[in-house]
Amino acid sequence: MAEITLYHYLVISLLLFIIGLVGSIMCKNIIKVLICIEFILAGVNINFAAFANYCGGAEGDGFVMILFYTGIGAVELAVAIYIFYFMYSKKQTDNVYQYGDL
Amino acid sequence: MYKEIIFYSASFLILLFGILTIFFRNIFYSLISAICVFFLAGILFWLSGSEYNAVIQFAVYGFAVPVILGLGIMFTRKGKEEEEEKTASASNLKNILLFICGLFILAVVYLVLISLTIFPYGFNLEANLQNGINTYNNFRIFSKGLFIKYVFAFEIISIILTITAAGLTVLKKRRNV
Amino acid sequence: MEELISDNIYLILLLPLWIFLIIMLGRFFSVYVNKAIICGLSLFASLSGAISSLWLYGIFTPDKVYESTFPFIKINDFIISCGLHIDRIALIFVSTLFIISFLVQLFSISYMKNEKKEYRFYALLNLFNFALGSLFFSPNLFQTYVFWEIAGLVSYLLIGFDYLKHEKSLASKKVFLINRIGDTAFLAGIIMCSYIMYEYAPCKNLAELSFFDMNTISTLVSVYSSHFLFLIICGLFIIGVVVKSAQIPFYPWLQDAMEAKLPVSALLHSSTLVALGVYLIIRMTPFLTLSPSMLKLIVLIGLLTAFVCSLSASVQSHPKKALAYSTSAQFGLMFFAIGTLNIKAGLILFVAHALIKSMLFLTLPEENEKWDLTKFIIFVIGGLSLSGIILSGFCSKEIFACSLGLRGMTALAIISLLTAFYISRLTIVIMKTNGLEKKNDTKTEYLSIIGLLLLNILFCICLAKSESCKITMPFLTAVFGILIVFILHLKNLLVQMSHTFPSCYNGFYLDKLYMTTILDVYNKIAEISAKFDINILSNYKPAQVLARTGVKIASFVETYIMNGMVKCITVCAKKLSTIDLRIQTGNIQRYNLYAFIILTAIIVCLVIADLTIITGGGQ
Repeated sequence: MAEITLYHYLVISLLLFIIGLVGSIMCKNIIKVLICIEFILAGVNINFAAFANYCGGAEGDGFVMILFYTGIGAVELAVAIYIFYFMYSKKQTDNVYQYGDL
Repeated sequence: MYKEIIFYSASFLILLFGILTIFFRNIFYSLISAICVFFLAGILFWLSGSEYNAVIQFAVYGFAVPVILGLGIMFTRKGKEEEEEKTASASNLKNILLFICGLFILAVVYLVLISLTIFPYGFNLEANLQNGINTYNNFRIFSKGLFIKYVFAFEIISIILTITAAGLTVLKKRRNV
Repeated sequence: MEELISDNIYLILLLPLWIFLIIMLGRFFSVYVNKAIICGLSLFASLSGAISSLWLYGIFTPDKVYESTFPFIKINDFIISCGLHIDRIALIFVSTLFIISFLVQLFSISYMKNEKKEYRFYALLNLFNFALGSLFFSPNLFQTYVFWEIAGLVSYLLIGFDYLKHEKSLASKKVFLINRIGDTAFLAGIIMCSYIMYEYAPCKNLAELSFFDMNTISTLVSVYSSHFLFLIICGLFIIGVVVKSAQIPFYPWLQDAMEAKLPVSALLHSSTLVALGVYLIIRMTPFLTLSPSMLKLIVLIGLLTAFVCSLSASVQSHPKKALAYSTSAQFGLMFFAIGTLNIKAGLILFVAHALIKSMLFLTLPEENEKWDLTKFIIFVIGGLSLSGIILSGFCSKEIFACSLGLRGMTALAIISLLTAFYISRLTIVIMKTNGLEKKNDTKTEYLSIIGLLLLNILFCICLAKSESCKITMPFLTAVFGILIVFILHLKNLLVQMSHTFPSCYNGFYLDKLYMTTILDVYNKIAEISAKFDINILSNYKPAQVLARTGVKIASFVETYIMNGMVKCITVCAKKLSTIDLRIQTGNIQRYNLYAFIILTAIIVCLVIADLTIITGGGQ
């Protein structure tokens, strides 16, 4: 097999990003939408890791970025779940199309 | 050679589980495939050379995020009683899934211990020791990044997260009152 | 100080124009200017103009000229410039204009108090100041013509100020139309001179007919045109002058101009507007000196007008009409003076007449009102001055008479007799019809009248110091005239004179002649063309077909192209709005998708731009 270059990682991250994007647009259930948003973040993280590995050199600034994004992503998810909780208590449904008046 | 095998299999599986997440009707199944995706992303991080990131990915995305999502799903399920109807094949499936999860956890623990050099790396220890232990390289990168180059961002993010946490608890208390 | 005023002299012209614009245009922007501000600004503009022009007159020596122009119209090598050309003659006219304008505005503060829309009055007076100031300071004949027209327009607007009354609007129309004759003749003269200059003269700059080169222009025109053509050109200019100053063939318009209000008559039709003829004649003196027959013509016109109009003024019963004939007569004397190439006497006569005549107009009483005693006294003083017995009238007439020979002095004496006659008759007739009374009128009216009187005395003192005034024949005949009037008054023969001399009363029927002939001719022409149109043109087949196709084309254009364009716009707007509505779904995921697409587009564009820069596209 050929050597794994930077472009392999970039393709993987791109595909994961697209999967996450399509899922966030297509899905009816709001939990799935939140999961797909996390996929987007994961894809971006892989992108950063690949660049840090192949182009970073001595300084691994990309890896430090990943740390921040992971933290932010988790907190964002928590806040989203919080909001979803209250919407659910009002609407009694987890269908995104019913949340139009937000 | 190992690197290529692991990379290609991990990439194939990550895409597979990603697509499955969207197409499963049952929310729990999609949650499980999401956990798989996060684990595999962590393995990709490990392959890129940063074990620290992989561990954090496992911890946050592999554990904490599923917990939150699972709690969210469970509290907002509206009497979906399909889980009780389980056939034998379903229970077998459940067993296989649990076994795979266990393997994953073991792999995680093994990798963590190796990266902390408590367990010998195994393959080329004498050569690595003679060349100077550079398994701490990753830690050096992180310490330089977090505490010297980007200490400002680190502090601000920690403040923001603290405020968020505090804010959430306060709001929760107010709602209850 | 001299440089300050010379550099900024155009401001005294632009200030009235600015006031006119803010008063008239302010109404479009719903800015109604306060009456006190309007009056104050107008007075300030006139006063500053008067002071600046008098100061400059003191500074300027007789041969100093200040000229500053810039090219206004440029067609290949024919350039007309506009700007300022200030010399002593222009300053005399301008100072008279501004002084009398100031005093008349002071008078009209209280006179026009009860009018509706009186802001128009002040606006028009300011426009008048601007127009005449620019005219007197004009460097070439073209600018003179432009402001000549504007002055005619202002006269039309001011005479018909009460345009809701029928006879006033008719009178203003008639005045404007008769002035057009003079304007056309003037324009024809200008065009001919300019053409001759452009074609034949060595230097194309002469085609702009500036007053600086008037000597050169007149000699070249007389050289390059035949004798007959030169006479025609001079004749055209003289027609323009004669119409404007209300001389012999064209004096009836001044009678109709008396329909205007009292301040308008005092300012326009006694002192300043009719003086445009004098100004133009003075500027065109090089032309006239080249043909002695033209000078004789001017003298003839002047004396004839003075005689005829004095006779007509002697039998009028309406005071304003009498004063109008008197204006024509006095201007006839001025033309007489200029015709004998005594321009200094002409100018002195003009200034004296302006001050006296406006004073006479302002002291007239209203219809069916008692005559105020103070105003009566001042009217008497003005009358005596006009006939040449006391004050500046005496000085100016004597200065003029000293330079005349025996025949000229006889003519002047006869005219002085008639002047004294009609002015004293007028005084007694008004006294009889209105009656005297001592009133306490508004102070501003008195202020302006007394101001004029003081200026009169001041002018007389200036003249007496610089020239010599002896008592000669005109003085004696004037006194004689007053004695005659006294005797007739004792015999109670004065008031019926209008019935005993009907030809004099109707201005020797000149007005009626014009009205009947011209109106008849015009009606005949209109009748014939109407008949032609109805009977012949309407039944002509090709004309009908042409008209029908024209209507069809017009309707097609209107429905499909004009309305089509409007419909197109409305339909497009509706379609765009429906498309836009479909985008707003309320679905968050859809919005997310839009955001992602737009962001991608932006980032792709940025990347491509960066790539082109990096690969050397942007050096």
